[in-house]
Amino acid sequence: MMENTIECPREGVLSHLDVLEMEALKLSRRQQLSLQQQSRVDDLRIMVEKLRAQRDQLKARVKTTMSLQQLKAVIDQGPEECDDDGEEEGCSGSMQLHLLLLKARQTQVKYLLQAHHVIGGYDVTETRRGQGVCVSIATAFEGCYLETYNLELDVTRTVRICRHNIPPFIPLEKLVQENLQTDLSNFLSTLSQHLNAFAGRRQQVRLIQAVLRGSVKVMESNALFNTVVVMCTELGENHRAVLCTLEYTDLSRYLPTKVTIESEDKALPSSPQWKENQSLLLETPAHTALQALKEKGQIA
Amino acid sequence: MDDSAKQVLRRIIRRIPSNKLQITLRKWECLSKKQFRSLDFTQPKWLICENLLSLCEENDLSLKHVTELEMIFHIEHPTQGTWYVSQLIDAEEEALTSDLLNFRESFKVHLKSLISHVSVKIKKHEDDAIWIRIAWGDNFTKPNHFKPTYVVHHLQTPYVFVTGLAAKHRPLLHQALIPSAHYGSIKDVHLSGRCLTALRDLLMRRYKQVFPEKHPRLLEERSPLPSHPNIENEHAKHAENRLQMAAEAFGDGMLPKLQTAVYKLETSNLLESLKYCVSSGMASAPVTPLLSSIPRKGRNYFVITDKGPGINPTPGPNI
Repeated sequence: MMENTIECPREGVLSHLDVLEMEALKLSRRQQLSLQQQSRVDDLRIMVEKLRAQRDQLKARVKTTMSLQQLKAVIDQGPEECDDDGEEEGCSGSMQLHLLLLKARQTQVKYLLQAHHVIGGYDVTETRRGQGVCVSIATAFEGCYLETYNLELDVTRTVRICRHNIPPFIPLEKLVQENLQTDLSNFLSTLSQHLNAFAGRRQQVRLIQAVLRGSVKVMESNALFNTVVVMCTELGENHRAVLCTLEYTDLSRYLPTKVTIESEDKALPSSPQWKENQSLLLETPAHTALQALKEKGQIA
Repeated sequence: MDDSAKQVLRRIIRRIPSNKLQITLRKWECLSKKQFRSLDFTQPKWLICENLLSLCEENDLSLKHVTELEMIFHIEHPTQGTWYVSQLIDAEEEALTSDLLNFRESFKVHLKSLISHVSVKIKKHEDDAIWIRIAWGDNFTKPNHFKPTYVVHHLQTPYVFVTGLAAKHRPLLHQALIPSAHYGSIKDVHLSGRCLTALRDLLMRRYKQVFPEKHPRLLEERSPLPSHPNIENEHAKHAENRLQMAAEAFGDGMLPKLQTAVYKLETSNLLESLKYCVSSGMASAPVTPLLSSIPRKGRNYFVITDKGPGINPTPGPNI
């Protein structure tokens, strides 16, 4: 603009002022216009933002409705839920949504339980139209699934065991008195510990019999597998027979609490090597420990 | 070998069926291979018995060895006589750690302190069961080996199975058993039968029980398109449901063999109670003939057998 005014300096001051006035007017008009345009752009921008937000909201709504419908479909497939289709027609929208949310929560809990079961935890099934539950407790040892035990519980008033297939030597009665009424999940996890430890102790004996056959002999074991006596032959000068007595005082563990080594050679149990072996047997599952002793050439 | 030992041996051989004799004697391990081969098992039993007696004389066997043979036979064939079950209660801490040696020692000491003339033999079977053979005498007579009592107990469990126990010896057995197994007392559990293994499996839950399980495989099998209005499907579903219910109530696969059950229904007026059960809807109608037969036939003792759905004509009054 400055350049325009400088182009015509010779035509007198007044005309020059006139030109300047014209330019100023033009400029202000242009500025006004651009301002107007700017505000219109801003308006439009806000509008776009609003619409975008609305679109996102709608999208989210569609998504929730669809997933809820899917969940509902999943639930309706479940055998015990077939009968409430009729009632839902009469429900108002919010009620229905609330119901669906509850069902979604229930499904979520069910899936969690299933996942819990898949990773080796207990599984819970509703029985007798909600008056009872059936809990199944899977046992495993070293990544190998063993027996599954079941308990059917009556939960109408106080929690009561209706029937079960837990072996009679598991101290179930004691665990029931401790916390069946007060803390069900604690009761189940303690019971699961007992069952897993029992299955683990038994599996160790079975593995010794299978893998170390001809090398280690299981002389004695009892129903609960909390006292196990094995005999092996020491590979020293005299090839003495060695008796290892494993005692499991803590019934919720699969490792012994006491290991006694006996031999004809009275000095053997107190030798540094067998002291070491004794602590190995305290810290490692019996079949692994004995296998290690065999590999080290300490026992035949 | 004295006369009483010979008599006991004769009696045992008489009780062992001919086809089981050879295998039982082999398990006994009291005869040398040569002696065993010399026995001809195609001969009549009395002759085998006489030959066996002379072999026993040769080996200088005693009553102890003879009762051993009886135990072997009983352990292999636990269906001799009726077994009654008792349950030890109020377990002490030690009950979970007791072992055979301690139990054997303690039981013998306790029993012999209660009665002077008694012969006890204890043997552990492969399945961890402890077998106890008791021949009872009294203060003036020697133990009677013709009528021994057999007791089977699984350590660390509360169950005790008994056969051949006279009422007068019952308290003695209990008094010896309770402290040896580390319990507080013992009670009768009203279970009896000829088959020991069946009673054991029933109590120790060794038969296959069925529980409602949320197993994916089961779900697929169980729900054949619920929305499809197919009558056959409906029926199949009901049948399956019934099977499942039966399995949940009684178990699956081979069930323990029980021969009898006694239900004693005690009330001030049994018929009034039964009538109320039906009229109030507690029991489903029509009334099972088992119950309606009481007034109809004028009897309250019925025997149900495998033969049919009806009630067999056991003796009763004529109406």
